[in-house]
Amino acid sequence: MHKISARQIYFYLAAIAPVGKLMLMPTQLAFYAKNDLLLPAAMNYLLQAGAVFLALLFASKNRTFYDALAGTIGKIAAKIITCILVLFFLYAGLLPLLAQKLYVQKTLYDTLPSAITFFPFFLLSAYLCAKPLSSLGRVWDILLPVSIVGYLGIIVLSIQNADFGALMPIGASGADGIFGGFAYSLNWFFDSALILALAGRFEYKKGMAWKGMLSYLAGGAAILFFLAVFYGVYSDIALHQTFGFSEISKYFSGITVLGRIDYLFSFALTFVIIFYGSLPLHAGVECVYEAFGSKRYLRTLFSVIINVGMLVGVYFLNFKLFVTLQVITKMLFWIFPIFCVLLPALCLLLKRRKNEKAV
Amino acid sequence: MKKPYKFFKTIPMKIYVLIAAVFTFVFFSNDFGLVDIQKTAIIIAAGVDRTEQGFHLTAQIGKPKGSERSSCGTASVDVEGDGETISECIAEIYSKTGWVPKLIFCDTILVGEETAKDDIMGALGYFLRTEYMPDSCSVAVCKGTARDMLKSVSAIEDTTSAALNKLFSNAAEKSGKVMKQSLKEFAIDYYGASESSFLPYITSESQDCGGESGGGEGPSSSNGGAAGGQSSSGGESEKPDKKIFKAEHTALFSQGSMTAVLEPQQTFTFSLLKGKVEAGTFAVDDHGEPVNVSVLKDKGNANLKVENKPQVTLSVNLKVYLFDRGVSSPIEDVARKELSKEAIEKSTQLISEQITELWNTCVEANCDLFHLSRSLYRSSPKKYAEWKELLLSTADLKVEAKVETMK
Repeated sequence: MHKISARQIYFYLAAIAPVGKLMLMPTQLAFYAKNDLLLPAAMNYLLQAGAVFLALLFASKNRTFYDALAGTIGKIAAKIITCILVLFFLYAGLLPLLAQKLYVQKTLYDTLPSAITFFPFFLLSAYLCAKPLSSLGRVWDILLPVSIVGYLGIIVLSIQNADFGALMPIGASGADGIFGGFAYSLNWFFDSALILALAGRFEYKKGMAWKGMLSYLAGGAAILFFLAVFYGVYSDIALHQTFGFSEISKYFSGITVLGRIDYLFSFALTFVIIFYGSLPLHAGVECVYEAFGSKRYLRTLFSVIINVGMLVGVYFLNFKLFVTLQVITKMLFWIFPIFCVLLPALCLLLKRRKNEKAV
Repeated sequence: MKKPYKFFKTIPMKIYVLIAAVFTFVFFSNDFGLVDIQKTAIIIAAGVDRTEQGFHLTAQIGKPKGSERSSCGTASVDVEGDGETISECIAEIYSKTGWVPKLIFCDTILVGEETAKDDIMGALGYFLRTEYMPDSCSVAVCKGTARDMLKSVSAIEDTTSAALNKLFSNAAEKSGKVMKQSLKEFAIDYYGASESSFLPYITSESQDCGGESGGGEGPSSSNGGAAGGQSSSGGESEKPDKKIFKAEHTALFSQGSMTAVLEPQQTFTFSLLKGKVEAGTFAVDDHGEPVNVSVLKDKGNANLKVENKPQVTLSVNLKVYLFDRGVSSPIEDVARKELSKEAIEKSTQLISEQITELWNTCVEANCDLFHLSRSLYRSSPKKYAEWKELLLSTADLKVEAKVETMK
């Protein structure tokens, strides 16, 4: 089986995973933590970087999640836990998809279009999900420069309008604001769970766990800088800017002459977000295929089922983004640390194969 | 035989990928941004006035050329709506015209003077809320009602909104004569710790343009009526009163309500303190004769120190050169750019006096124009809590003006 290279995993952690956090997370953090939005984001990044480290350590066994589970607790229990993990991926992937849909509708359209305009996304997603997860490596190779150019373009155009003084005074939102921001933005940090799904599909190289963690932290630093610029541009009205990343650069003085050149960079990031948005679905299809599939057509079938299910979910939640946001981020936020921190840690306790050496 | 078989086997998947790519592209393209102009009202400027019922909205809508108001360039038509809220006014415009009002190209929001005296955010809130309008648009207050201002005929442009937009150009801002403000910046000030802001205050005056040339041909001088009379005999009574607009005044806001209007020289001083002036000019007296001074470099600052009592330092540091004299001078003097010592002293004195005057106006209007409360909040929330109510009224002012001539 073709495997993802270590380099491609680093690319994902440093440049693709962060882009998915640019949509609603800045506004959400500004809502709870106000000018302290960097603190909860940094706390989440540090926690998740540790979890990514653990997930990569688990991947060092070169076994898939299901394989390792089945070897320890038996096939039936492994299938049940895998199904629960798949449900978690669908749950975690729902909000990014709804956000992405709303983002495209609000940014690319100047009146609210019909919900159906988003559905072609699922055609593409179904195709991607029908491919083995290991085929994503090449996609990430292509997305890396797109992501970097998009990010840098937006930052360069917006930094001149940022008043970094707006981030002061540190701690003004109090413990409630900071820890509230931390807890209620946990939903954007499920990368370690995705790494668990990727385990066994990439070659583990020596030192990959800490290199992967550093890559993730590098992406995190870029996000923290973006958050600083975002709050610098919008200051006290930041919580009103639903999709800040496509808006912060429009105040660039040259835009009156050149037109909305910032859209080029927004489009670049939107392109990356398409693949990021389909990744939880892809991981879900891969896990369920490994647990229940034996024939190739089943992968396609699972892909269709999961994507149609998600499409129906997105359609019914079309006008319920903020209710969904409340439920996922405020009521059920505790689900994320279970799957994204606890699970990678517990995975290290799974039995080794007899001939397996410690890394 | 194996290769063609494999090729044909993958055709359905290739077609699927192609369809998916095409559909996704169409989804992203937004019909390539095409706007059906026959069904859409492209609002290029909005004027808001408060009424007993709620609000009166005057929407200036861009139209294809060839209307009465235009001989060239952009034409417009003004459509009005009333309602308890701005969105109701927009809905009324929709029901009156059948056009879908589009705010995405709205560059200017004009608010009537009386409306601005009550919390202006009631009028601007809709424009801030709607995602389909750029918050980078200019906002201004006008003398009288926004309706009258928008419905008046510009002497220099086809549409009033285009004439107003010219006032807010970067060049105008650098001259120091205009302090432009965007909706976003105004909202940040309004919701910020200072709760104070400013907006340009538009006034208009009649301009006799002469002839039938109308907008787009540039302003005629006010005594050009004779020429106009020659070209259109008998048409004099039908000619609309053409206006030119000025934004030299600046309206001050405290907690969203307009509390004072700065005079043109105060607007210029405010620009200097903001460090925005480049090539702006001001006049001083040199040995009893008028001298015009041009600003090459402007560094303005407002600083707050709170120890026992708040102390505000307003400083302006200018690099200037002699721009013009009001009297004839020898060629040696024309070639000189250096200001005399007396002119420098008088410039320094003039700017110091104007800064003090501006500060006093701000104190009287309870307008924290220099965002001192915000600075204090950022540096010490404790001191901010202690002083926020009394900051303006108790602060001591220190003025530092420095004018250097180019040599």
